[in-house]
Amino acid sequence: MSGGVLTERFARARRGVGVRGNGRPVPAGRGGPNRATLTLILLAGPSLALLLLINLYPLLYAGMQSVRAGNLINLGRFVGLANYAEVLSTPEFWDSALFTVIFTVTGVFGSWLIGLGLALLLRTRIPAGGLFKVLLLLPWVVPVVVSATAWNWLVATPQSPLPILAETLGFGNVLFLADPMLAKITVCVFKVWISFPFMMMMMSSALAGVDRTVYEAAKVDGATGWQALREITLPLVSRSTYISWILMTIFCVNDFPTIFLLTGGGPVNATTSLVVMAYRTVFQNFQTGPGVAIAFLMTLVLVVISVLLYRQIRKVDIA
Amino acid sequence: MAVPNSSFSRRGFLGIASGLGAATLVGCNRAANNAGAGGTTPLKFWNMPWGSPEFNELDEKITTAYEPPEGLNPATYQVIQWANFTQTFASAVASDTGPAVSSGGGTQAFQFEAQDKIAYADNLLESWKSDGLYDDFLPGLIDAMKVEKGYAAIPYNLDMRVLWYNTELMDEAGAEVPKDWQGFLDACEALKKIGVYGYGTSAGAGSYTGSHILVSWMINNGGGLFDEEQQPNMVTPENIEAVEFVLECVSKGYVDPASPTYTSDNFESQWKARKFGMGFGTAGLANNIGGEVGKELLIGSPLTSPAGKQGMLYFPNNIMMYTNTPNQEASEAFLTYYYKNMAPLWTENTGIGLPPLKSISETEGFRKDKNAVKAIEEWQPISHTWAAPGGEALFLGVTTVDGTPAIDTFTQSVLGGKVGAKEELTKLQEATAKAIEALG
Repeated sequence: MSGGVLTERFARARRGVGVRGNGRPVPAGRGGPNRATLTLILLAGPSLALLLLINLYPLLYAGMQSVRAGNLINLGRFVGLANYAEVLSTPEFWDSALFTVIFTVTGVFGSWLIGLGLALLLRTRIPAGGLFKVLLLLPWVVPVVVSATAWNWLVATPQSPLPILAETLGFGNVLFLADPMLAKITVCVFKVWISFPFMMMMMSSALAGVDRTVYEAAKVDGATGWQALREITLPLVSRSTYISWILMTIFCVNDFPTIFLLTGGGPVNATTSLVVMAYRTVFQNFQTGPGVAIAFLMTLVLVVISVLLYRQIRKVDIA
Repeated sequence: MAVPNSSFSRRGFLGIASGLGAATLVGCNRAANNAGAGGTTPLKFWNMPWGSPEFNELDEKITTAYEPPEGLNPATYQVIQWANFTQTFASAVASDTGPAVSSGGGTQAFQFEAQDKIAYADNLLESWKSDGLYDDFLPGLIDAMKVEKGYAAIPYNLDMRVLWYNTELMDEAGAEVPKDWQGFLDACEALKKIGVYGYGTSAGAGSYTGSHILVSWMINNGGGLFDEEQQPNMVTPENIEAVEFVLECVSKGYVDPASPTYTSDNFESQWKARKFGMGFGTAGLANNIGGEVGKELLIGSPLTSPAGKQGMLYFPNNIMMYTNTPNQEASEAFLTYYYKNMAPLWTENTGIGLPPLKSISETEGFRKDKNAVKAIEEWQPISHTWAAPGGEALFLGVTTVDGTPAIDTFTQSVLGGKVGAKEELTKLQEATAKAIEALG
């Protein structure tokens, strides 16, 4: 076989065209679905109907709630986009949106940095590495109610361990939850603490797929540790990194218990994220319209972020 | 490849599956229809965990011991947890799968009444006039349940807010138990000298005591949140003076600076740690604290304000009947039985709030708890509902200040101490007016 023919076949293979043709599916015959297809539809039908009921019906109902002035029992009268306009015109919404951004950015990148660092560390041979892995997973495994209670015990009162430590170190009476700025920091740190094991697992699995001989070759070429991390490790785990960022962004934006259990959104709304605001609007103010409108706006933003990050994954694939 | 004939064909399978599905739907439909019938269909009584686990055990015994009169329905019992109870009730009531009779949040009856889901208690209360039960209620309680169309609920247990002090710490500080606002400041100052806070409070996640006490100071001074027209009227001289008094307590260091984010557990832990020497809480605080510190806690007398007035906020928790009942007559018969037999819930110290009936508060079992007796005898007569100073009867509008974001923000701002009284009251007034408008 000549080299020219081989080159042509490789080129066809890259385009997804086989030796015998372009691999397009055989077109279905005329006359509608056959019996096998019908059976398939009938068997899958109940599951599909159930899925629609579970997902589509609540979504449509929530959509209706967002354009009506109702409460928890009645849908109320149609008000068009007034709920959206009202929500977007309140300063509280934008304060909550800003905190959501801070919380999410800190949560995603803080947990990723720690997770990646630990994954790299655990890749090396250290004594009792398996035990460390299990222990490091605990913040993710323990129910958030337990974690929030533990953190409350750590920081809430002047007799708690961290305020005592801060006072011993000469910082005075540090109000970790009662001071608005410190409350924001505490909640963000709590989120990073809860989330880093997830990132560690994601990064560990990504690193497991990286061939160690690549590093050996780089070492032979004189690459430093930092260069190996920047030029080899990060590009090779970029696909997993983007996926973990997408997932963690969704987790952070939708995270209700972490904030609500620790601060309830206070003090003075300092730690009120959009999801907490939506909850309080619906279940404490009993205004379903504006509350659901907030939730839909959050969803919209999440979809945009997810699409942008997903495009990065595609770019990685193409590269 | 040849496929062997099977006695269970694809067509047969689909036929059987369809048949089973149809049968299930028919069964569900019949069950749903039966649920609406009277006679033997039990009426559902949902109650909350008002006290210790023993409370619900005893409460269930009382409920299931009910033997209905001929032709009326028996009752079933279900405990509804406080977590997400608003959603639990709202979804059940909206889908007509809720209880026939229930307790719940203090303002819940007024929310459901506005949605035409409440069966008014007028006939029931009328029937109680002849057997003495009506006159057995403590003064003013039944009137607090009256709305425009009738009585939305029946008083059940009283959630009081009272002044507590630690006798040991007060003695150590050489402080006198306060009788007025100046006395309160003096006691706080004395306690401060031994490193103890005199204004113990909490306003963090899920803790609404802080806001209750702020409103109590206003009521104590002759103010409050709503006027006679049931409209928010908060920026009044009485309220401004009360909030300024609290701000003075904050600025002088009488309030724990971490209080704005204290949960109920943090609040109790501060009492247990003897960091709170005085403060406001529920009438059951000493029992909740327990141990040695619990024994050191006593309820003081109501404070007199500079205006020469006394007053406090309280919550007449209640039991309501719903329009979704197998039989309204059965709901009323059950409640008559329940109210005539519920005394052990108080006499056996199950941790429930204070009793609504004079006869229970006079029993030997109840009077063993001197603090509870003091709360009923001294604090209940001067206490008012959210509707003060305009009235006593609760209404839908009070739900806009009962544990809402607006009043939480107000409370945390004031307890933070870096705000002005008039400015914060104005914000609260505006937020409340807006929320009432949204209620429709």
